[in-house]
Order: sequence, then structure tokens, then C-alpha cells
Amino acid sequence: MKKIYAETLIFFMVLAVLGTANLINTHKPEISEVENRALAGKPVFSAADFFNGKYFEDYNNYYNDTFIMRDEMILMCRDIKDAFTVNSGYVLVVAERDKLPQSPGDDADFSGEEAGNDPENREETTPDGSENKEQDPQERTETEGEKRENAAEPGLELEDDGNMGYWLLADGKAVELFRFNKEAIDYYVETINMYHEKLGDKVKLYSMIAPTAGEFTLMKRYRDMTDSQNEAMIYINSKLHPDITAVDVFDALSRHKDEYIYFRTDHHWTALGAYYAYEAFMKARGEEAVPLERYETVTVDNFLGSAYTKTLSKELENNPDTIQVYLPFTKNRFTRYSGSTPREVDVIDLSYAEGKDKYLIFISSGGGTWSVIQTDVKNGRKLLIMKDSFGNAIAPFFLPHYEEIYIIDSRFYSTAVTGMNIPQFIEHHGIQEVVFVHYMEDVNWAEFMQTVRNLLFEDENTQ
Amino acid sequence: MVFSSLIFLCVFLPLTALLYYITGNRRWRNGLLIAASLVFYAWGEPGYVILLLVCGLFNYFSGLSIEKTKDRNKKKAKLVLAVSLNILILVFFKYTGFLLENLNRLLGLTVNAPDIYLPVGISFYTFKAISYVSDIYKGKITAQKSYWKFMLYISLFHHLVAGPIIRYPDIADEIDHREETPEGVRDGVRRFIAGLAKKVILSNTAAEIAGTFLDGDLSRLSVAGAWLGILLFAFRIYFDFSGYSDMAIGLGKIFGFNYGENFNYPYISKSLTEFWRRWHISLGTFFRDYVYIPLGGNRRHIIRNLLVVWLLTGLWHGASWNFILWGLFNFVFIVIEKKLLKGFLERIPGLFSRIYFVIVTLIGWAFFYFTDTARLLVFVGALFGTAGRSFIDPDARILFENNCVFIMICILACTPILKYLAGITERKIEERSKLAAGIQNIGQPFAYTVVFIVSLVFLVSQTYNPFLYFQF
Repeated sequence: MKKIYAETLIFFMVLAVLGTANLINTHKPEISEVENRALAGKPVFSAADFFNGKYFEDYNNYYNDTFIMRDEMILMCRDIKDAFTVNSGYVLVVAERDKLPQSPGDDADFSGEEAGNDPENREETTPDGSENKEQDPQERTETEGEKRENAAEPGLELEDDGNMGYWLLADGKAVELFRFNKEAIDYYVETINMYHEKLGDKVKLYSMIAPTAGEFTLMKRYRDMTDSQNEAMIYINSKLHPDITAVDVFDALSRHKDEYIYFRTDHHWTALGAYYAYEAFMKARGEEAVPLERYETVTVDNFLGSAYTKTLSKELENNPDTIQVYLPFTKNRFTRYSGSTPREVDVIDLSYAEGKDKYLIFISSGGGTWSVIQTDVKNGRKLLIMKDSFGNAIAPFFLPHYEEIYIIDSRFYSTAVTGMNIPQFIEHHGIQEVVFVHYMEDVNWAEFMQTVRNLLFEDENTQ
Repeated sequence: MVFSSLIFLCVFLPLTALLYYITGNRRWRNGLLIAASLVFYAWGEPGYVILLLVCGLFNYFSGLSIEKTKDRNKKKAKLVLAVSLNILILVFFKYTGFLLENLNRLLGLTVNAPDIYLPVGISFYTFKAISYVSDIYKGKITAQKSYWKFMLYISLFHHLVAGPIIRYPDIADEIDHREETPEGVRDGVRRFIAGLAKKVILSNTAAEIAGTFLDGDLSRLSVAGAWLGILLFAFRIYFDFSGYSDMAIGLGKIFGFNYGENFNYPYISKSLTEFWRRWHISLGTFFRDYVYIPLGGNRRHIIRNLLVVWLLTGLWHGASWNFILWGLFNFVFIVIEKKLLKGFLERIPGLFSRIYFVIVTLIGWAFFYFTDTARLLVFVGALFGTAGRSFIDPDARILFENNCVFIMICILACTPILKYLAGITERKIEERSKLAAGIQNIGQPFAYTVVFIVSLVFLVSQTYNPFLYFQF
């Protein structure tokens, strides 16, 4: 061999070493804790996937996801970028929002992927996976898509406009910025009003909108980066049907804005923030709230939440959150259905404190397809919480007041599994009250609220 | 496969290089390159390998046949047939959907477009084939007698999927008689690293920041935000495209081929006319040699000829109206420069002509970026500060502050400053400067190594894809 120059040698050595290391590394990671997702697995070869190119795409994802020292390189890249970022007190991070699971138009495998993505639910979904497989996934998505099209108003175009999320990092906090989108907000109002129209006077509706931390914590200088969520709420309340009670969460939180009501590294409210919202709810019902002192508490340290995951900010990393958990004193049985398989779980499950996403402590990560908490409060009252993840922290506080609390997240509920749309579900279970708990960003996101609206109609005709 | 993927870098490339240099046998080496190219192409679209092979076969025989035919009319007919068929393939795979959509709109029909998946690189290899048969027709080259050697030209993975549009005479000789030297391989590696860095560090980062301005709610965009966004897009597209060309040229050198330059610091131009001599050179010269000049060039119907060329250039970039508009935009300014300004831009101080150039080019990129015409109009409005827009908003200010170092790096990387510094080092070495020799012998390899490692780190971390909502 003739002469080899240093660059040539280094270049090919590095590539060959990395390539060989990936080849002989048999302990491929399956889950990324940091990213909150299951990593792509080695694709199974099939002639169809081979010829339509899917096999290669999957193989690339698998190769990328399981690349040697991937996590270290991600953090190294973060540090390099940090070194070149001029931090003048504020760093603005703009990123595309997550896609909704099972959103219309997504490819047919998405629902399956989502189940596999969910490390917690994975074991549970497998047994009933066989049930799902009976339906051709392609067909299922198509019929779903059609229905959504019928259900959705023809005028609504879901532009990618609304799919950017804005985070401002300052003072060791991440704040999601609010950008008022009138179309989306009107869509929310319409949706809740439609529920009222459909359900009539027998079912009492509450609209509870959680503002984001930006409303309370942003410094004056950057106040004009975010629209007023209070004004948005006043606007919404003025448009809601008068029989729907708008819970004034804003005022309640505003009175306590110097307390630890929002996480710094996560977009959620703390249990304390959720408690104040619960207090406002009880006030709207004209009842006494259970005083906070009545609860025993547990503290969980070192929580780095969604905003950290999204931004990997060092500032946040050095300033982790503490979760204060209020343990329910009401005797209860919490049954969660993943698909149609029931499983008993805990309202507060501290085993999640060991994992990365400690917010999952609240109602054991979420409600699955749907779930119900039965309590020993024998007053016959039944509540349905239609929620996003903000509902998780508030749900435990409702226990002393209801005999049965149903929990549904519109993204995961499936009319195909229960055979009931929401009005039918409400009638079937004899529910008297429904509270919609969503945070402002989801209210301001028509694509999200569409999942709520669709559950009004879906499968109605097939019954 | 794309160059900036981990599987290409860590598996395909080292393996191909190893097998290539395992023996000095030319037949083995050429055979290996063809096999590797087909694997490269098949990775992702195995079905279309057949299209590539058939397209190659057809043009191979066309070349031989055109060369053999003595009768002028018959010769011409054969050329027309060959060129038409290449264009037909391109139109069918690339423009069917677009054509049907517009026909439907025009005639009120509802013909459903067949689901045609665009074969990667088809815009490049059909153009290569057109240049090949045309050059044979003109008697500039002799036809390649071996199908596989012809396929080596058409399908070589270096320039298969994203150019440059290499002409056959440029590598005809190198197919059989190229010389792989240690210096050549080293220069190729350097060039490849530079291209990789442009793509994964500069282009991808610029794309991310540009998106914050261009993909959001345009009605809120401030004037400064609009300009900043489109500036970052200008960086993104330049570093993406020229980075890819650098990698192609680098790969060529690693395997002993010498391809011509495809970009020559286009952003230092003083006019759009100059820009198009420096940007995607192989495409510009293709249209010049095979469309503009055959139409009559500068001699007759110059405006018509320019219009045709710019419409085609626009359309070539994508099957969408905004690309046609972008072509027309270029046409208008090139005509203005040619007919009205007539060298005025070269006579005034460079600063002014550069300001003119930057403004025109950036507005042009807006046409390129927005496939949705409604959004395009709102955005152009934002550039010129339509009523009610603030000049600068906190978003733009903070993002500018956060990224000003990055923007400076991008600006510098658009200029020949590194080339200039390397030139100085060369001269100092000739003057026996020890420092300069040290920079070249130690500093350069070190710098390339660092840039290479950082590029890999960026590439890996670009697979970071956190989910926030999946669970709840």
C-alpha cells in the first residue's frame, strides 16, 4: 500500500470502528427514557415491505435509534450547541409540536406503534392486541378517517400553522408561550356547546381550562411575547352556553401565583396548582373543598419534565423539580381499561417516581382507553372527567365527592372498543356531571379538540 | 440511501472502499462500483432499480444507434425519439399528479391521479442521458461500447441521486484510465467532510431556526423575523445543496474520479446573472447547452429563449406552481439585468450591487420555499411590512441574539475565506515558513478530524425525537 494521509486514515478508521461496534453490539437498547419512547426495533423482513421501501425505512430508523453511544452523542451535541448559543438571559426554543396519536391521516400502523411506544401499557395491550388484529388496520383507519371527515365541519382546515410550540427558557424555568388562535378557540367553544346540545339539561357540564405557567411567571419585559390567556378565557366564557359552568381557574391560580403551582421543567401544573383549580371547581358547585391539610404528603425529588426533554436545556437540568404528592384518604378502586382489558391500578402510584417521567405518578400514568374510580362515598354521584394530562393531577382531589369517577382522554378513547360514543357512554353509566379539563395549549389547538368532538358522533349509526 | 445517513457512513462507505482497494484490478473496481451503486439505489426503492437499468439500456442502445446512423434525417429522428422518451419518463414519474390536478381544475374533471412515487434521482439521471445522446448526435463524443461501463456513468452513486449532472466526456476517460492516488483520496476525504459538515451542522441547524419563522403563524411575523427567516432558509438550501455536491465530488476523488465544480461561492455575487453562473453550475450549463443555444441563444428570440429556460428551470425543481413562479421571478430579473441595467451593477460600488443581489435573491427564495401560494403572498407582504406589522418582535430579537454566532459562521462559510487562507498558507510554505508547514501538516488534519467528529455527533443527535404526549 502506498502512503496514507492522516485524514484518510482517521476518517475510515472512525467509520469502520463505529460500523463494527454497531454490528457486534448485541445489547441494543429498546427504550429511550430521555425521549419517552420505544426505540425502533429490528424490522421483520417481508417481501411487501421490501418492495414498497418500508423495510429500508424501518431499518434506517432501527440503525439510527440503536446507534452506539447515541445518548452520549445527543448530550454532547447539546453542549456544542450551547457553547455557540448566546444566552442573553433568555433562550427561545421553537419546535414542532408532537403529533397526536391516531390522528386522522396518519399511517395505518400508527395505532399499533403507539401501543408499542408506550412502555407502561405495553404488556397490557399485548393480550388484547389479538382482538385489534382481527380488524384490518388499514380498513380501520380508513373508516375512522371517513367518519372524522363527516363529523368535522367542512370549513375546518387544520393548517400546520398551529403546530409550532414556543418555549422560553429563562431563570431556570421553561415557559410555554401562548399564541391566541381565534379559529381554534372558537372550535373549542363550539365543541363544548355541541356536547351540551347533545346531552341536554340532564347532564351538568363544566369547562375547566388550565392556563400555562407563562401567564404568571413571565417577566414584564417579555410579556408581549405571549397573548393573555385570561382574555382568551373571558372570551371563551362569554361564548359558552349559559348552562355550562366555566370554572374560574385563572383567578384561583392567580391568587397563589407566588407559590409552587407550576413545574419549572415540565409544562404541567403541580398538584398544588391542581388543588387550587379543584377548589375553584368546588366553589362553582357551591360546596366546601376538602382542606389541603387533610392530606398526607409525599415528596419526590429530581424531576426533569417535558420541557427539559424537549429542550435538553442545561439550565433546567441544574434546576430539577420536586413533586409534592397528596395521598388520597378516600377508599377506592381504580380500574383502567386498555382496550377492553381491565386492570386495577393505584390513583397514586409512587413506583413511577423511579422512572424518568415522574408526573406519571398521578393516576398511574393516565386513563388508558377509559377508566373508572369507584369510591366508598355512597352518594350516587357520578362524574366524567374529559381530560388531557392536566387532568391527571387534579383527578385524585375529586375522590371525596363522588361515588364513581370516569376518566377519558379523547386521544386514547376508542368507540370501536367500547361500542359507545361519549353521549352513549354517559347514558350507559348514568353519569350526571362532566368536567372538561384541558390546558390552554390544547384548547388552542383545533386538531386536539377535534378528537374530543369526534367522540360525540363516532359509531352512532352502527349501534 | 443518502450520504448524510449513518448507515451510508458507517456501513456502506467503509465497506465499498475496502472492497474497492482490496485489489488494483480495474474490472473488479468498476464492477464493484456498479454493484455498489445499484445497492445504494435499491436501498429504499428496490423496484425502481429496474427503471434505472431499463432507462440505461435504452439510452445505451440509442447512443450506439445514433452514432451508427449516417443519414442526417434519420439520425435526427433517433435523437428526437431518445430525448423525448427520457423527457416522457421524467414527466410521467414527476409531473403526472401536477398535470392532472391542473387539468381537472381547468376542465372541471375529476380524474384521480395515479399514486406515483417519485424515483429518487430521476431528474438527474434522465438529464445525464439526454446530454449523452445529444453529445453523440453532435459528434462530440463516441458512444460507450459496454453497457456496464455506460451504467457506471449513469448510475454511479456519487452523483446518482442529487447531482452534479456530470457529462459523459468529463469521465469517459476515467472509466478506464483513472488513477487513484493517496493525495486524491485525502483531498476526497477532506472534501467529503466539508460537505458533510455543511449538510448536518449548518444546513440542518439553519433549517430548524428558519422553520420557526417560516412555518409558524405568518400573520404574526415581524418584518425582521421574515427577513431573518428567509436568510436562514437561504443558508439552509445553499449548505444542503452545495454540501451534497461537495460530498459527491469528494467521493469521486476517493475513487479516482474528478468531477467539475457545481457551486462557486454563489452568495458573493453582485447580480442574479452572476449568481446563476455560480449556483448549480451543472444544471445551468445543461440548460445553456441543450436548450438555450439550440433555441438560438443570444442570436435570435433571446427573450423567448430566456423565458423557456427559466420556466424549465423552475419546473425542474419541483412539480408545483411556486417553482414556476420562482423561475419567472428569475427570468424577470435576469432580463432586467441584461436589457436595462447592462453592466450597471458591475460599475457601481460592490456594496450596492451586493445589497441589490441579496434582496432579490432572498425574495426569490420565498417563492421557492412556499408551495402554498396564499402563504407565499402573506410572507412577501411580511417582508415589505404590510400594515399592522411590527418591525421587530421579541421572538425575532431573542432568536437573533441566541443564534448570532451561528449566523456569523454561516456568512463566513458562504465566502471563500477559508480558501483564501489556505492559499496564503501554500505561499508561505513555498517561502519555507515553518509555521505555515505546521498548519498544513498538523493543523489541517486536526481541524478536519474535529469537524468530522462534530458532524457525526450532530448527525446522531438529529435522530433525537422526544415524545411528550404519547402517554397521556
